[in-house]
Order: sequence, then structure tokens, then C-alpha cells
Amino acid sequence: MRDKVVSAAQAAALVADGDVVGLQAGPTQCAPMVLVRELIRAGRRDLELVCVSGGLPVDWLAAAGCLARCTFAAVTMEHFGLCQRFRRAVEAGAIAVEELSETALYARLGAAARNLPFLPTRGLIGTDLLNVGNDALAVIPDPFGGPPVVACRALPLDVALLHAHRADRSGNVAMEPGVRLPTTGTMPRAARRVVVSVERVVGTDELRKAPDRTILPGFAVDAVVEAPHGAHPTSLFPSYDYDAAFFASWVDAAAGEQSSGDFLDRYVRGPGSHEEYLRLVGAAR
Amino acid sequence: MTASTDYTVDELMVAVLAARFDNDDQVCNGISSFLPVCAIQLARMTHAPDLVWIAGASGVDPVDVELTASTFEAPLWRDSVMYLEHYAEFWDYAASDRFLLKFCAGAAQIDAYGNTNNSVIGRYDRPKVRLPGTAGIGDMGSLGKSLIFWVTDHSPRTLVERVDFRSGIGYLDGGGERARLGLRGGPALVVTNLAVFDFEPGSQRMRLVSVHDGVSVADVLAATGFRPVVPPRVPRTPPPTVEQVRLVRERIDPRDFRKRGFPTRRVGSER
Repeated sequence: MRDKVVSAAQAAALVADGDVVGLQAGPTQCAPMVLVRELIRAGRRDLELVCVSGGLPVDWLAAAGCLARCTFAAVTMEHFGLCQRFRRAVEAGAIAVEELSETALYARLGAAARNLPFLPTRGLIGTDLLNVGNDALAVIPDPFGGPPVVACRALPLDVALLHAHRADRSGNVAMEPGVRLPTTGTMPRAARRVVVSVERVVGTDELRKAPDRTILPGFAVDAVVEAPHGAHPTSLFPSYDYDAAFFASWVDAAAGEQSSGDFLDRYVRGPGSHEEYLRLVGAAR
Repeated sequence: MTASTDYTVDELMVAVLAARFDNDDQVCNGISSFLPVCAIQLARMTHAPDLVWIAGASGVDPVDVELTASTFEAPLWRDSVMYLEHYAEFWDYAASDRFLLKFCAGAAQIDAYGNTNNSVIGRYDRPKVRLPGTAGIGDMGSLGKSLIFWVTDHSPRTLVERVDFRSGIGYLDGGGERARLGLRGGPALVVTNLAVFDFEPGSQRMRLVSVHDGVSVADVLAATGFRPVVPPRVPRTPPPTVEQVRLVRERIDPRDFRKRGFPTRRVGSER
């Protein structure tokens, strides 16, 4: 058995400049923030980020200058508002975007996961998202005589980044029952490399007690990073809620380029480890 | 069913939305969807007890919970009977012609034919304003659903003749263009903080149905970025009942999250 437990810094080394990176995230939910912080600390550049509904981690990566491109169905922090740094960077032309509907993005990821050239969707028909020169989308006739559909080209990921509750040392990953982000299932299967941060590394025997909670087999996982509260400030249901005060402090900082850079210096580049980060944000409470 | 004389415009809008939901419907909600969630809950507590709410498009038939700052986080789907996996399960049911036939949507811009924009103001590749993105509306608009829109800040900026960018489609340019693409369904209702609209058969252009208490037809036309179809007689939007207002205030949303997004200027019978 290969031991796949590594440090966050070692895990970040599995992401290269220019990689297509799938990121598990919701507006305030379950992002592998410990890995995101490590990418920023390592100064990764020109990443092509893929996320269904990205929030704060997308804003941080944009603010840190890590992103060249982003493929998404939505980028928002819900009640904390738009991602201001991401938005400014897109408006300035510094980050290119590919906006898709949810089914179109799932179709692109699902095609990659199935090793198919494309999967079709009935969404997007009639929208301007088909008129912006996106060469990953093509309206094609139904070969069986029905109305046209939108072919969505496979979107293979270089690496998928996830956060979960538990994993064993060989990379079998388990999650508590609950609402599961769609990317948790599809993105790893669409990716060449899979890196998972977990709350706790456990013995394989513990996973055997509830195999229905295992969402990824170890053979599909390249690296596991143990990081309690590793999704902070996003939520990990049912273990912990999102940190509303921390979100609000980022929203304040994100209003300006200097203040957002200062914020990342303090909370991301400053702490030497995940433990130091937790002490820092804990002290701020 | 005593009509309330003490209600705010958000409560009126909740009652109008709730009336559109039937006992055999399944209705999901997305992010920042306070008015739809209040309306779904109100319908379940009154005329549609069997309506199945799919909280956050994930939690099937959760118990009644008080609204929180998020309509997309865990407390809302507490004690669901099932969690739908979003890709394989939720979107399969949503794509069917049998389930989830109504979809509530908000948007940065809605136009005279019910097309919506949540993508960009200005050029797509170099926008003046980058909006959050189409998310599920780019799908629901094309999937033959009955679309119900809510607008908390009715103004010439939100209700426009033509959206800058069609990130979700309604009736396109009207006059049957949607059907010619082979698509069924389409926009059914627009509930704003000033008025209620539907869509005129034939032209498929937005049509004034009623104005809220304290709002005139002239007020509505001045606040709308296009000329809607205006029938000769425009009635007043029926007020919510005393019981509906009580349920919304005391049980569904005692912390008043539904009041977010409304302009501070008082309109209608707001307190």
C-alpha cells in the first residue's frame, strides 16, 4: 500500500503553473481552503480554474493573481455578495471566463469522466452563451430526429481539489451523509490527479464499518492532506458552519486592491502552517 | 380569510408567489431566494400541504424551518427525507416533463419578453459589470418550465426592453419564437415590489395584471424600462390574509431576511 498522506505544501506541488484545476466549492460551502491557501503561498500562476459555483476561494485566487481563466456556472458568495476581486479582474481583462449553465458544465465534466468526446444538454438553447465564441459548445441535430441539443465538449482536469471528512492513508475518502456538492463525485473522475484535504486521517478499518460513506476509492486519489477545519471559512456539513464574521471581514478587505493584498498577507501568506492559520483565525474570534 | 390591512410589500409578494404553487407541485430554490422560500413555506402551511419543497435543489421535503441568512446552507434542509445528488439526480428530475414544472428566478435584468440576464453588462469578454453567472437559469429557461420571476427593486435598470445578454431565455423576441425553437413552457408571471405582470398571449410581451396598494399605473410605467401591455382596467393586487401575514412574520421568517434587496424608499402600503 502506498502511503498518500502528505503535507499541504507537498500536495500543492502536484499542481503546476498553467494547470486546469477543478475546485470543489459552493457559495459558502465545503472548499479545500487549506489547499487553496497553499497554492497562493506557493505563488502558482496561470491556473485555469473550474468550479460549478465558486465563492471565496475563487476571489482569493483571483486577488492573489493565480488565475488566467475560470470556467463556472456562477461565482458568488451568496449573501456576502459578488466576489469583488474576481469581478474586477474579469472586468479588467486579467482573467478570461467561460460561463456555462449547470447542466452544460456537468456535461463537460461528465464527458471527461466517461472518456467521451462530449455529452449533450437541452439547457442553453436560445441563450447568448451560445453566441460568445465558446468552441466547447455546439448546437447539433438530434441524430434520432428530435429537436437540436447542445454538445458540450469534454473538459478534462489536470487536478481536482476536494475537502472531505475522512480518509485512510491509502486515499480512500469518506464523507458524512448530507448534501453533497456535485463536484465531489464528478470532478475527481474527470481529473488526472486528485488531491483531497480531510478533517481526519483514520484507519481503513474505520471506513470498512460504513463503506456506503466512502465516496472515492484510494486508487483514484493521489494525495491526502490532514487538516482539521480545513474548509474554514467555508462550511463542512454537518461538522461546522461557515464563518460569517470571517466572510464579512474578507468582503470589507476585498473592496480595495491594497486591503485585499494585506488580508491575504495576514491570513494566507503569513501563517507558516495550517495550525498557525487556525491559531490566527481562532485568536481573531 | 380576512384580508390584512397591516402588511408590507414583501409579504404581499410572498402571498402572490404562494398562490402560484399547487398541492401537487415540486418547487426548488436557489441562492438568496428569500421570497420564493417564504412563498413555498407559506403554500405548504396553507393551501398546498403536499407541495414538495426541494431546499437548495438538494434537500427533499425538509421540515418547516425558520429562514436564515442563507437559502443555500445546511439549516434549511435539516430533516429532509432525502438529499438529491445535484448532477445525476436533481437535474434528471428537473429535465423531465413530469416534475419540477415551475421555477422561481430572480435576475439582474428581465426584459419585455421574459428573457433574463445574470451574466454581464457590456461585452462578454470585457464586461462593464461581471454578474454572478447564469447558474441554473440558463437550463431552466430552455427546459419547458413555467418561469416565475420576482423583482425586489422594480426600476428601468432591472426591467428593460432587451436584456444586455440572454443568459436565460424567456420568449426571445416574442410572437412564438420560443415555440419555433421546439421549446415549451416559458415565463408565466413577474412579481415586483410595485406590480404583477403576466405575458400577453400572441405577442408574448409583458402585460400588467395588477398594481399594489398605493401604486398607480403611471408609477409602474415610469419605473419600467419598456412599455408593457396595459389593459383598460388594472385592478389592485389582492392583499394577503391576516393569517398569511402572521405565518410569514411569526413562523417562516421572524428575522425579516425577506426584506433584503428592497429599495429603502417606501412604496405601497409598507409600514
